Amino acid sequence: MAKFLGLDKLAKLVQIVKDNGGVKASLYKLYRFDDLRTGKLVGVDKYGNKYYENPTFFFGRSRWVEYADYYGMDYDGSQIPAEWFGWMHYKTDLPPMEDPSRPKYKWMLDHVENLSGTPEQYVPYSTTPSKIKAWVPPKRT
Amino acid sequence: MLSTIRSIKLKWSPIFTRTIQTFPCLKHDTMFVHRDTPEDNPDIPFEFTDDNKKRIQAILGLYPEGHKRGAMMPLLDLAQRQVGGWLPLSAMHKVAEILNLPRMRVYEVATFYTMFIRKPVGKYHVQVCTTTPCWLRGSDEVLNTIKSELNIKVGETTTDKLFTLSEVECLGACVNAPMVQINDDYYEDLTVEDTKSILNDLKLGKRPAPGPRSGRYACEPRGGLTSLTSEPPGPGFKVRPDL
Amino acid sequence: MYLMLRTTVGRTLGRYQWGQKQLALLRGTSTTVPKPEKIEVFIDDKPVYVEPGTTILQAAALIGIEIPRFCYHERLAVAGNCRMCLVEVEKSPKPVASCAMPVMKGWRIKTNSDMTRKAREGVMEFLLVNHPLDCPICDQGGECDLQDQSMVFGSDKSRFTDIEFSGKRAVEDKNLGPLIKTVMTRCIHCTRCIRFASEVAGIDDLGTTGRGNEMQIGTYVDKFFLSEVSGNVIDLCPVGALTSKPYAFTARPWETRRINSIDVSDAVGSNIVVCARTGDVMRILPRTNEEVNEEWLSDKARFSYDGLKCQRLVSPMLRDCSGELKMVDWEAALLAVADKLGNAGPKVCGIAGSLADAESMVLLKDLVNVLGSELLFTEKSFPLTGSGTDLRTNYLFNNGIAKVEEADVILLVGTNPRLEAPLINTRIRKAFVHNDAQIAVLGPCLDLNYTYEYLGDDPSVLRCILDASHQFHKTLMCAMKPLIIVGSDTLNRRDAAGIITVLQTIANKKKNVTDWKVFNVLHKTASQVAALDIGYKPGIECLKPEMKNVKVLYLLGADEGSFHRKEFPDDTFIIYQGHHGDYGATMADVVLPGAAYTEKQATYVNTEGRTQETIMAVSPPGLAREDWKIIRALSEIVGYRLPYDTLDEVRNRLQEIAPHLTRYNNLEQNSFSGEAAQLAQESDVPLVDAPLCVSQTALEDFYMTDVISRASSTMAKCVAAMQKQRQSRY
Repeated sequence: MAKFLGLDKLAKLVQIVKDNGGVKASLYKLYRFDDLRTGKLVGVDKYGNKYYENPTFFFGRSRWVEYADYYGMDYDGSQIPAEWFGWMHYKTDLPPMEDPSRPKYKWMLDHVENLSGTPEQYVPYSTTPSKIKAWVPPKRT
Repeated sequence: MLSTIRSIKLKWSPIFTRTIQTFPCLKHDTMFVHRDTPEDNPDIPFEFTDDNKKRIQAILGLYPEGHKRGAMMPLLDLAQRQVGGWLPLSAMHKVAEILNLPRMRVYEVATFYTMFIRKPVGKYHVQVCTTTPCWLRGSDEVLNTIKSELNIKVGETTTDKLFTLSEVECLGACVNAPMVQINDDYYEDLTVEDTKSILNDLKLGKRPAPGPRSGRYACEPRGGLTSLTSEPPGPGFKVRPDL
Repeated sequence: MYLMLRTTVGRTLGRYQWGQKQLALLRGTSTTVPKPEKIEVFIDDKPVYVEPGTTILQAAALIGIEIPRFCYHERLAVAGNCRMCLVEVEKSPKPVASCAMPVMKGWRIKTNSDMTRKAREGVMEFLLVNHPLDCPICDQGGECDLQDQSMVFGSDKSRFTDIEFSGKRAVEDKNLGPLIKTVMTRCIHCTRCIRFASEVAGIDDLGTTGRGNEMQIGTYVDKFFLSEVSGNVIDLCPVGALTSKPYAFTARPWETRRINSIDVSDAVGSNIVVCARTGDVMRILPRTNEEVNEEWLSDKARFSYDGLKCQRLVSPMLRDCSGELKMVDWEAALLAVADKLGNAGPKVCGIAGSLADAESMVLLKDLVNVLGSELLFTEKSFPLTGSGTDLRTNYLFNNGIAKVEEADVILLVGTNPRLEAPLINTRIRKAFVHNDAQIAVLGPCLDLNYTYEYLGDDPSVLRCILDASHQFHKTLMCAMKPLIIVGSDTLNRRDAAGIITVLQTIANKKKNVTDWKVFNVLHKTASQVAALDIGYKPGIECLKPEMKNVKVLYLLGADEGSFHRKEFPDDTFIIYQGHHGDYGATMADVVLPGAAYTEKQATYVNTEGRTQETIMAVSPPGLAREDWKIIRALSEIVGYRLPYDTLDEVRNRLQEIAPHLTRYNNLEQNSFSGEAAQLAQESDVPLVDAPLCVSQTALEDFYMTDVISRASSTMAKCVAAMQKQRQSRY
């Protein structure tokens, strides 16, 4: 009966809203990610991104990330660090902290997100010398 | 099958088409560019001896005013003899100075003629003729004998700076083949033994008698004359008596 | 050594090449020699009448048939060693080398017969046997005689199959210095470079060493080929054996735009072609002008173009309150200048430098005059006594450059033509080699490429020559075509007027040859003659008494260092207009960026008084503008608008001042030499005892003389190479 009336869906919604920390937080998440779901929190990376898994969703949609709050609306895929990338793309089912075979060397660099379009973006310097070398007046002593 | 035929055809095709071939690179024992060495550099002073200075005056006297550059080759030869069989750079500079010519003009002449030798040679410069007549008469044996006796290869100088061995083209003594020229002397009609004895004499400081070693005086036929054997007719031979 | 060359080359050339010219000279001097009868020959069945002694190749050229050649060059002795010019002569069993064979009466020459074609093909095949197939990486590609001629006369297929066995001839590359790059495997032994070095440049450093297949072109010892005209061997080389080092791998000849222009590095005004690509000067080549530079070019003119890209003024600059020059826009700069100019009134002074063009000098003169001042000077001086600069004959190379080679006696007074005007020096050398000219030098003992009689460096010798107590007087008086060349360094002396008076008096005694002017002045800078024509006062000396009154100093590219900032009052406002940051810009309060000679259409007058114009090859860099436009804009802001809006209007004004300034490529005859000498007599300046000296004595002094060459790294390398050569033992 409850199923017939769709009450279970409603209950599910309530549960989701509850899992996401209340109505306000849920609306905010919906606003940020255009999506509102609940799942098992698998882990949090060092940048504060939270990784969830819910196997009831179809394969390919069953793992997702909630970007750390300080990114605001400026989140993008390149903010996922390399160690979580494999898990997110179903290359492995072991999240990084549970995988003993992950290489860990001192020389490994910190993850850097894609800076294209930002002021810090990489611009290659010109290798062609300028055609004219201008005169620089000598400094007066 | 077809490819075999093609490869055979390709292999033999040069025979059927005329091709241009260059000479094998002449492996000259001297370069045509000067390199400073301890023995040969422009800092080594060169001065003609007093005797040679007199000779230079005599040579220069042969050439009219304005054409003194004609004396370049005799002067270079004089310098080469004075130094001991080779022509150092400073000697070329001296000749240029005497003739009042740019140095390059002297370099040009000195590099053109193969008998101006621009690197140090031993006291005896052994030049073995290996051109066809000498070769047919056994110049290879002579050359190998010299090589083994002196323990040097062609173009090298013995460690005691006594001998330098060169292979040269025809020296114009084909009738007395095989022959070697040692400094200014021709040694002709050589056999292996002759060659050894010549070299041994030179090592001992003696000067072996130049000329043919076969007992010939010069280039006369070995077995005596075969023609012109009669007494040469005197004047008036077969002339009309009324003249 | 030079005498030797003189007899041999003289004879070779006399027979084959200069025959006509020498005969003409003979005709000019004695009327008894009858004109030789012309002989008829048939080239490809076309009859042509030529003078005896003409070679087949020259005869063919007369009717427009070009015979292929590598070693033959019109201006060099005949070598006849490349064999490319073989032609068939009827009844001759073998093909004949046309460059060295004088025609005989009635010869029938076939330049396109089977035998000729086969001979050419054979020669070409043998040349290519030892020539590397590196055209794609060769700088000569596209302008290579061998490439072109192998396309036309060569075989269509190769028979060269010897790659595996002995390969092609390998030759060591020679290091000839910072200008000439060598790839000696490409050399085809035409010996043009050797002949040029020994005949024209007068340096016998190049030669052939070795013989046969192993023959090499080179210096034998480790030595640079350094001469003031060395770059010409690059043009002479028919293949890519000698190419330009600064130009290496930068451009292809078909990519560049070629603009005919004029060189300004000396006062000769050599004709040049500026090769530019995408707003960049890639190289500079000589342009044939028989009257000026023949087809040669001095190294400074040819290689200093990289100086056009360095030390450039690209934006107006204004000295701010901290005393530093800061970049500003045109408006700010012009307003600042106009402000000072407007207040200065008649206390404005203009100084034109060595590269200033006639247009900008005229506009500057108009501007300064309209402000009420007459203070306009050039940097190089000239005595103003006598008729001064009023008569052109006083300050020109009156006889013309081309006629130097006809001279039989030349007296050089306080000049080093080899470095001050290399292309006039080649003419002097030509007179020496082909015309047996006697040359005498009064001044420092110089390293000239001809033998000369040294008269000492005491100017009083001139008086002795004048009053016939010196033996040279007789030589001079016996000469048919004597020349006296006085250098611009002599004009800076205190007794310059005296020297000129004496020289003009001597020259006046020799007036028996018509169309021959004995007295000649050799200037060093491209702007001087035009400046004097326009009415600038020569030399800073004239300014000395007025210096303390100058409020605004306008420098039009004045960079020679002939004056100091300290000589002017502290509050003098100095405006520098020019294209390079150098001496003038450093002292300036305002810098106005102008255009260099490749970037403007401008008029220059060379030392013989020939007006020529440069053509804009590239646009001025950054905010720089053409010089006359800057002054025109300035005049409008000052409030005295000069009425010239276009270049044509400026040139109309030029024509008003001096009509010859717009008669381009035309040498105006000047007269009044006698009157000038008489006027000079009236002010008798005594000769000073100080020895005559020149500022450029050794080849090191040749390379860096103006703002462009001082900014050029190629020229700096040349100076370094020259210094290295001095250390060398060869």
